[in-house]
Amino acid sequence: MDKQRYERPLIKKLESNMPNKFGTRTEYLPKTHIDDVAVTELADKYGSPLFVLSEKTLRSNIRNAKKAFETRYPKVQFAWSYKTNYNDAVCRVLHQEGSWAEVVSGFEYDKALNNGVEGSKILFNGPDKTDDDLKKAITNESIIHIDHLDEFYAIKEIAGNLNKDVNVAIRVNMDTGVYPMWDRFGFNFENGQAWDVLNRIMRSDIMTLVGLHTHIGTFMLSPNAYAVAAGKLAELAIGIKEKFDHEVSYIDMGGGFASNNTLKGAYLPGTDISPSINDFAEAITSALISSNFEHDKLPLLILETGRALVDDAGYLIGSVLSNKRLSDGRRSTILDVGVNILFTSFWYDHKITPAQPFTQYTEDTVLYGPLCMNIDIIRDHISLPLLNKGDKVVIHNVGAYNMTQWMQFITLRPKIVLIDIEGNTHIIREDEKLQNLLDVEKVPDHLKDFEL
Amino acid sequence: MFKNSGDTLSVISKSILNSYAQVFFSKNQVFAIVLIIVTFFDLYAGVAGLSAVIIANTTAIILGLNNKTIMNGAYGFNALLVGLGIGIYYQPGFEFYLILIFISILTLMITISLEGIIGKYGLPYLSIPFLFGIWIVIIASRGYSALEISERGIYYLNDMFAVGGMGMVKIYEWFNNLNFPEPLRVYFKSLSAILFQYHMFAGILLAIGLIYYSRIAFFMSLLGFFAAYYFYMVIGADISELNYSYIGFNYILTAIALGGYFIVPSRNSVLWMLLLTPLVAITLSSTSVLFAQFGLSVFSLPFNIIVILFLYVLKFRESKVNTIIVVSKQLDSPELHAYTNYSYMNRFGKLPFYSMKLPFWGEWKVTQAHNGEITHQDKWKHAWDFEIFNENGSSYEGSGNKVEDYYCFDKPVVSPADGVVGEIESGLDDNEIGNVDLQNNWGNSVVIKHGEKLYSQLSHLKKDSLLVSQGQVVKQGEIIGYCGNSGRSPYPHLHFQFQSDQAIGSKTIDYPFSSLISRDNNDFKFDTISNPVKNALVSNLVSEDTLKKAFNFVPGNEIEFKTDQDNSSTIIWNIESDIYNNTYIICRSTGDKAWFNNIGDVFYFTYYQGSTNSLLYMFYLSAFKVPLSYYKNMIITDSFPLNVYPNKALLVLQDFIIPFHKFLVADYSLEYYKNDNAINNKKITLKSSVNFGIANRTISKFDFTIIAGKSGIEKLECGQNNTQIVATRIY
Repeated sequence: MDKQRYERPLIKKLESNMPNKFGTRTEYLPKTHIDDVAVTELADKYGSPLFVLSEKTLRSNIRNAKKAFETRYPKVQFAWSYKTNYNDAVCRVLHQEGSWAEVVSGFEYDKALNNGVEGSKILFNGPDKTDDDLKKAITNESIIHIDHLDEFYAIKEIAGNLNKDVNVAIRVNMDTGVYPMWDRFGFNFENGQAWDVLNRIMRSDIMTLVGLHTHIGTFMLSPNAYAVAAGKLAELAIGIKEKFDHEVSYIDMGGGFASNNTLKGAYLPGTDISPSINDFAEAITSALISSNFEHDKLPLLILETGRALVDDAGYLIGSVLSNKRLSDGRRSTILDVGVNILFTSFWYDHKITPAQPFTQYTEDTVLYGPLCMNIDIIRDHISLPLLNKGDKVVIHNVGAYNMTQWMQFITLRPKIVLIDIEGNTHIIREDEKLQNLLDVEKVPDHLKDFEL
Repeated sequence: MFKNSGDTLSVISKSILNSYAQVFFSKNQVFAIVLIIVTFFDLYAGVAGLSAVIIANTTAIILGLNNKTIMNGAYGFNALLVGLGIGIYYQPGFEFYLILIFISILTLMITISLEGIIGKYGLPYLSIPFLFGIWIVIIASRGYSALEISERGIYYLNDMFAVGGMGMVKIYEWFNNLNFPEPLRVYFKSLSAILFQYHMFAGILLAIGLIYYSRIAFFMSLLGFFAAYYFYMVIGADISELNYSYIGFNYILTAIALGGYFIVPSRNSVLWMLLLTPLVAITLSSTSVLFAQFGLSVFSLPFNIIVILFLYVLKFRESKVNTIIVVSKQLDSPELHAYTNYSYMNRFGKLPFYSMKLPFWGEWKVTQAHNGEITHQDKWKHAWDFEIFNENGSSYEGSGNKVEDYYCFDKPVVSPADGVVGEIESGLDDNEIGNVDLQNNWGNSVVIKHGEKLYSQLSHLKKDSLLVSQGQVVKQGEIIGYCGNSGRSPYPHLHFQFQSDQAIGSKTIDYPFSSLISRDNNDFKFDTISNPVKNALVSNLVSEDTLKKAFNFVPGNEIEFKTDQDNSSTIIWNIESDIYNNTYIICRSTGDKAWFNNIGDVFYFTYYQGSTNSLLYMFYLSAFKVPLSYYKNMIITDSFPLNVYPNKALLVLQDFIIPFHKFLVADYSLEYYKNDNAINNKKITLKSSVNFGIANRTISKFDFTIIAGKSGIEKLECGQNNTQIVATRIY
């Protein structure tokens, strides 16, 4: 028999919540294993903190997403949103599942090429495309989603110089009834900007309009907004068909589907209020099907889903560094996970569970990171069991954006491990070493020597 | 009637040659020339035969009968036989030729009448017109004093001398004295008797011609003849009947007709041919006695009776139709019948006339198939149930206690083919999970009429989800409603069946889907003519526009290629179609033809005629079957009809035994290699390979790369052994 775990004594004020026959207790169970691999074993082997990705979950997510759309619409294509997680292993899992690449910078573009994605299957989005980027994209026959008129002129000139036809789409922004309205990217639908640039493209010999793109927002909680957007893009496509007798090949609905995370300030947890991929699929496809497209001339539907596919495939394992009582009496716990590697803690209340069994007693806790900075707060209010130094915790739904937006600040960034379908673990990114930084830093000669 | 005299001349010469060859069911011109030579072994008979053919065919032309039929020799060969027959019997002279003219015209008229009378039953008239013609003239001539019976039969050496001098006589005598076993001698003589000759030399010459025309026909003729020979021995019949009058040709003709010409050569056709031989023998013996009363020979009457009887009987079959296959499209060659039929039956044999697709989008799982264990039984055994499952094998998410939890619930249901909406039922409630509505068994349903006696029914649809109304025309792939849980459905699923009547719940019929993709983990398989089985994960082929456009060969178009072998000239292909709407690619310079069939989502080559070293042949081999879609790593396989086998010596060996065993292989496989196509018609690379071999040994192997792009087939690379030809499209 294992030795009984020690838990420190706890004195707790009587809560005056709604009565519940089980009392107030945490609803979740300890997360001792990720895909049947023990969390403690992972931490022992690869260190703490540690990002862990489940290939099984990732594949199952993309397959279910494809199924959700393909059973509702005849032609569907997913394009992996690189910015969400451009770790090569993650990208390649999605490419193996048939996804194209959606990139928003020259760096991401090169990464996609390096992963072996053909130029023609890279969708190039974003407001920042340098002349060199455009040249590369045009040469590789990628599809450029034009964001602003200056870009339109740049493409026209570069393609003209290269004497090469270029496939373009425009990004359209519109009022879909949600706040805030994203109107900083692309051309506005309502005020006629979209038609303005479409007219120019259609009159250009060197550009072929192949698609229409929109991206109405991020972490959208309303599928209906997508239905409105799809309807407006369909209207635009049919307008182009009527005016120029030109059929666009695809409609790209972008991304922005919510994952199961809980936004800060949300009344209910994300698992309860986030629409499922099926809800989004239903909204988008029914809007397109009920538009004025002929039934056998429906354009290809492209989805740039990122977060909804990878978020719940990512876990972050951390360790308790210390417990402390704050001046106002609240309990605080310091983890080795800081906001530098868990960037999303700025806008989510991440689900955090201990990695070992616990009793039913919980205490309201503030979770701090290890940084010597006041802003380093992982959760400012969480009901956790009583943890001891060295205990492991698992932070859930961290697959999206953290592994791209993390920063090297105060500490070095940890390893990323992938658990494959068979349950084998692979390091897919090494932890940073001092040398990695020294490699890129340069010290001028006159600063080399000093004496203290 | 004809555009110019050149046309007339070619019609006449073709009609003459074919009239000879038709005697052996052939249109082989070389064989025809052999036949003409043999008829001229008896100079006067030869002249009479040729005159009769010319008279009959010219009359047919003057009457304005069908050109094609005349050219095929169908109107000439009976007159030829009559001419040869009376040419042997009577001394030539003015009176003889006068009679010949009229009897030839009479034979032609009998031919045409029989074509009308028994042709409408789809039966051949064979040599019945000849029988009538020759009997009429024999009986009639008994009263014509001017016609003299020929005595040449006795002094045949004189004829030989007249035709070929002393050398000919010597050759003839040498052959006659060859020390062949008796049955073989009788065989050769019987063969020659078809042309009213009775010598070994003629027989051997004919046999060589026959082998040249068709190995199967020759083999069958031997088989049929010896079957009869031994039947005579067993039954104790008078072998001299065979020997003396050489009436044994009846067995030879019967064997050729049933062994490969009217019936596809197979083990079964041989068996039946052997079974029918005694019937010919019995008919022969009995009719001989009967006709002897009138002093007439039965000639080929027994052959005619038995072949026509058997072909007629076959038309009444309702089952086991595949054991004996009657040739439906006459290709005038038993070899072609054997090879193309074998290949055709495998490839298109059960291809439904109407293109039927799965009635939904994306991948669904068959949860109950034909003859299912739950409800697909008896009258309703040919039906399918479909549901959607997730990666983990569950058909719902959440608790599964409400219909909305089920993946298939509220998913679009589309029309499997073009049609008109028939009976519909709407407005029935969707059951709660676990409940069934036994009062309204089928729930909300739509019946669509696709053709006569061909309806499809889609059932258990969602309440008030129907987008169509009765009488509405629907297109393939158009949404007709949404999957639901009405009727006898404990949890949401789609019930689909083909039926023969318009009422909901009619008796189901066994009708397959034209093509679909089935998936096993990450392996996709392309199935044509498919009746998906239980637990199959099926989806419709997602078409690929670039390939669709590249393989859309429209009659009237022209395609031009240049090869790296020959820079000076280009190869031009024309797309054409015949009056039956068969489409083919024809090479302008060589005249090689490759017939193709594009059924919308699959491109097939169906037949090839021409040389085996042209670019068109390479294209035929490389694109034998191309689903117009793209599934990385999906392998498509097929087998070629053996008549395109490049090693002709091996093929001749195969010809002899094809009814019993197929030892040559001609396998095709296609792989989707690379898809640079994203949005705007970039390139798709297909790799195919063709393996010609004997059993497991490869004799020659071809590797092809086809590159399709925005403007069609752009490049074709053909590699065989160490040689490589690259053909590039010119625009």
